[in-house]
Amino acid sequence: MASSSEPETPDDALLVSVGILAPRGRDAAVAGQLLDQHDIASTSVASLGELAGLIGRQIGAILVTEEALAGVGVDTLQEALAAQPPWSDVPFIVLANGTSSSRSNHAAARIDQLSNAVLLSRPLHAEELVRSVRSALKARRRQHEARKHLEQLELRERQLFESEAKFHAIANSVDQMIWSTLPDGFHDYYNDRWYEFTGVPEGSTDGEGWNGMFHPDDQEKAWARWRHSLETGEHYEIEYRLRHRTGQYRWVLGRAQPVRDEAGRITRWYGTCTDIHEIKVAEEQRQLMLGEMNHRVKNTLAMVNVMVSQTLRQSENLKDAQVAIQSRIGMMAQAHDRLIKAAWAQTRILEVIEAALAPHRTGEGRFAIEGPDVPIGSKQALALTMALHELSTNATKYGALSGDGDDGKIAVQWKVAQASDGAEVFHLSWTESGGPLVTPPSRKGFGSRMIEQALAGYFNGSAELNYAPQGLSFMLQAPLAGLTI
Amino acid sequence: MDYQNLPAVLIVEDEPLIRMGAVDMIEEAGFKTYEAGSADEAIEVMQTHSDIGILFTDIDMPGTMNGLKLAAYVRTTWPPVVIMIASGVIELDEADVPSGAAFVPKPYATNHVTKMLHEATGQVGA
Repeated sequence: MASSSEPETPDDALLVSVGILAPRGRDAAVAGQLLDQHDIASTSVASLGELAGLIGRQIGAILVTEEALAGVGVDTLQEALAAQPPWSDVPFIVLANGTSSSRSNHAAARIDQLSNAVLLSRPLHAEELVRSVRSALKARRRQHEARKHLEQLELRERQLFESEAKFHAIANSVDQMIWSTLPDGFHDYYNDRWYEFTGVPEGSTDGEGWNGMFHPDDQEKAWARWRHSLETGEHYEIEYRLRHRTGQYRWVLGRAQPVRDEAGRITRWYGTCTDIHEIKVAEEQRQLMLGEMNHRVKNTLAMVNVMVSQTLRQSENLKDAQVAIQSRIGMMAQAHDRLIKAAWAQTRILEVIEAALAPHRTGEGRFAIEGPDVPIGSKQALALTMALHELSTNATKYGALSGDGDDGKIAVQWKVAQASDGAEVFHLSWTESGGPLVTPPSRKGFGSRMIEQALAGYFNGSAELNYAPQGLSFMLQAPLAGLTI
Repeated sequence: MDYQNLPAVLIVEDEPLIRMGAVDMIEEAGFKTYEAGSADEAIEVMQTHSDIGILFTDIDMPGTMNGLKLAAYVRTTWPPVVIMIASGVIELDEADVPSGAAFVPKPYATNHVTKMLHEATGQVGA
């Protein structure tokens, strides 16, 4: 950490002080006085151990006599020197005894171990000493400056690392794919999500490689839109299909914004890709549903239109017409309810027949219903419901269900039989008995036309009404496949 | 009814009940009718009955050909035949409708359809 430059702390005062170790004679006193005269602080110590302490506290320079270096505590001094931080090499000024020729190898080695030492011969020469000390302190100051510089660099590096780590943590923990490009649109960064989603090797979509990840049908449009943003600086937004690592294409929302410098020039583009596949598919399904709904509603209205026109045309009076129309619309509404419950796909014939006859079951045992419970399509179910409604209404008015007695019976039977050519044929019959004598109607109403023409059409088969005197009967024949086409 | 002066109408509609209603409506307007439940069936009827002067077809039909494709086929094969296209869907792409074809909205309004048919008879064979 950067240290304060205020001189209050003892260490800071020491940085520009000279530690003096000259145990014998007057050298220490003379040197101290001389330095004081030149405004250089000094502190005198009595042992190598104390000197080692000063080194640990970053003393500015050390003035030491050669003979003092041979004293007790030389190991402590060596340890203190070795323990200095990398930038620190405390300068020594050694007051030598005589010349190098008179120095033992042992003594020379001791001086060498100081690594940053100059020798001054005694007797002390004032100017020489002061200049040496100043030079040592100046060099020492440079060491401190270098240290500060180094610490600043280290701090900046650490901050950069932390900021980078923070960025990666954010970029890779969000659910979106993130990318960035140079001002010309060259992709040079993708977060982990991009590689997770696409499954491509890192770096393989740098530059213009990204476009190959798009669905072939979307590439041109995406390119055009991206080029437009690069030329104009306009916000980029587009939906396209992106190749997932599974090989499937998923709908993605791509967006990007430019970042500008102070002069307004674009320096980078930052973009995201958001997986909107589920939303998009749901929206498509909703549109499809709406279209289908519209079609069905229109179709139903068209059927009601036919039914109303026909009823009005064939009714004796408006009162009769009103009753008939309401009854038929009610029956169609109920049939729709059941089809909705069956998801408008297929239902079972037994359920359709039971439901159609339910409103007309006035007494016990009037209906005998028998047949295999085969699947039936929605259109056929609706047509059969309408036909049974017409037959039942007719039976209530004129046939087996009319009158007070309960002799009248109706048998509704169906079966699937094998024709001579091997095809499966569906037979359905309605047989009334025990009712009043039947007379054929003078004209055919909606009911009989619906049964003979329309019903047969829905089943791709044939239908026949038979006005036998003992009871009305009806027979539908169709290929079994006709029930579900 | 007197069909002498009026062309016959071919009604193409896959929904039997609605087809029945259309047949009644058009017969009441004084026209002889033919009916078909699909485009394929309609082409067969066209090939065997030369008195058909008007094609009255629904758009949405199952099978390989819908009403628009049928109309285009009839326009090329029997150019004098007047084409009336019926649909519950209003947003029609004009490019899909053969030139000169009339659009009839569903459900049918009898007066409207009758009027259109009689106007069309003036064009038959023109």
